Amino acid sequence: MSIKKYFGPLSKNNPVLVQILGVCSALAVTAQLKPAFVMALSVTVVTGFSNLVISSIRKMIPPRIRIVIQLVVIATMVILVDQILQAFFYDMSKMLSVFVGLIITNCIVMGRLEAFAMGNPPLPSFLDGIFNGLGFGLVLIVVGFIRELLGSGTLWNVQVIPTSFYEAGYMNNGLMMLPPMALLLIGVMIWIQRS
Amino acid sequence: MKFSNTYIFIFTTVVVLICAIILTLASVGLQPFQQANRQKERMTQILTASGYKSIGDPIQFYNSVAEEREVEVLVDGKKEQRQMIQVKLRDSSYCYVFPLKGKGLWGPIWGYIAVKDDGNTIQGAVFDHKGETPGLGDEISTERYAAQFEGKLLFDQLGVFQSIKVVKGGVANSNIDPNHGVDAVSGGTITSQGLETMIAKGLEPYIPLLKQINKKD
Repeated sequence: MSIKKYFGPLSKNNPVLVQILGVCSALAVTAQLKPAFVMALSVTVVTGFSNLVISSIRKMIPPRIRIVIQLVVIATMVILVDQILQAFFYDMSKMLSVFVGLIITNCIVMGRLEAFAMGNPPLPSFLDGIFNGLGFGLVLIVVGFIRELLGSGTLWNVQVIPTSFYEAGYMNNGLMMLPPMALLLIGVMIWIQRS
Repeated sequence: MKFSNTYIFIFTTVVVLICAIILTLASVGLQPFQQANRQKERMTQILTASGYKSIGDPIQFYNSVAEEREVEVLVDGKKEQRQMIQVKLRDSSYCYVFPLKGKGLWGPIWGYIAVKDDGNTIQGAVFDHKGETPGLGDEISTERYAAQFEGKLLFDQLGVFQSIKVVKGGVANSNIDPNHGVDAVSGGTITSQGLETMIAKGLEPYIPLLKQINKKD
């Protein structure tokens, strides 16, 4: 079994760029690289492990209530991630505010449970979840990179655009800090990816 | 496979119970860390309100300059214990920090207002919130917003408590004395109103105390 078949979500079948899922949080948390990275990691953990759990009990789940069970598992994972962030990455958890909790409603997570974990064994499901999370995260990090660089002249909170640029009249692009710019950037990425 | 109703009930109960147990364990286990974080944040906010910015270890620094006091105040005619923090400033004068609690649009908001030792001028302020709308109401927690409060006055020339008005449309376009008003947040009207109420209600019990501080000089 080759691992290559799980790479789909990274480009060809990217959850954000191709399936246009999870755009809400992609717009909200990408003003800077750091929160985008933490968000990407959180979503990857949640998709990976909820896929693993659901897949391990998939034969025991009565089809009539499968959505409810999926939600219970996702919600548990998300609250766990939120609690851990609050305990060890407090500043980050404040920065991401409501968006960690909103992973519960991120269509990517439930989409993968329905489309993959319900019909496949645990290990492939786990990998599928991880790679879908990474595919989502990749877009977040690219958008976060561009927005932070052009919007605040920093990367990971470190100044990268030299002060001499500012003295020469260079200005940060304030529009980059606003959510509409993330939408435009994702639009451009979709365009590049499909052409 | 066909699932009976009894099976469905038992299955759901078991799944939910397992999840509940995991979450309880996580919550209890991580509580000390979370509390330590909150404590540290509280100290940082009090120090920021007093004008100390980018300090190394907030806990050590806080313990060296701040002194927490319980003061007895009258709230609606009843005696209550409230907190007041006395912070020593760089020029070795003191400022007094008052913790405030209020309601925003979606949940609690809170903050700290530091008053200079004339018992009137605001040294600085910090506000925070649980879940105000990102980009709108949550602007109150930004440094830029809180900076508006610096130098505002709580009492007018006659010594009457004016509190700080949070003015929709901007103080400059209203007939409110700019000494007693700040701009509201655009798109965050209810949060702004909550903020105004919080400041007025929160500082009211301290009025006699503030006047006393003023006289001491």
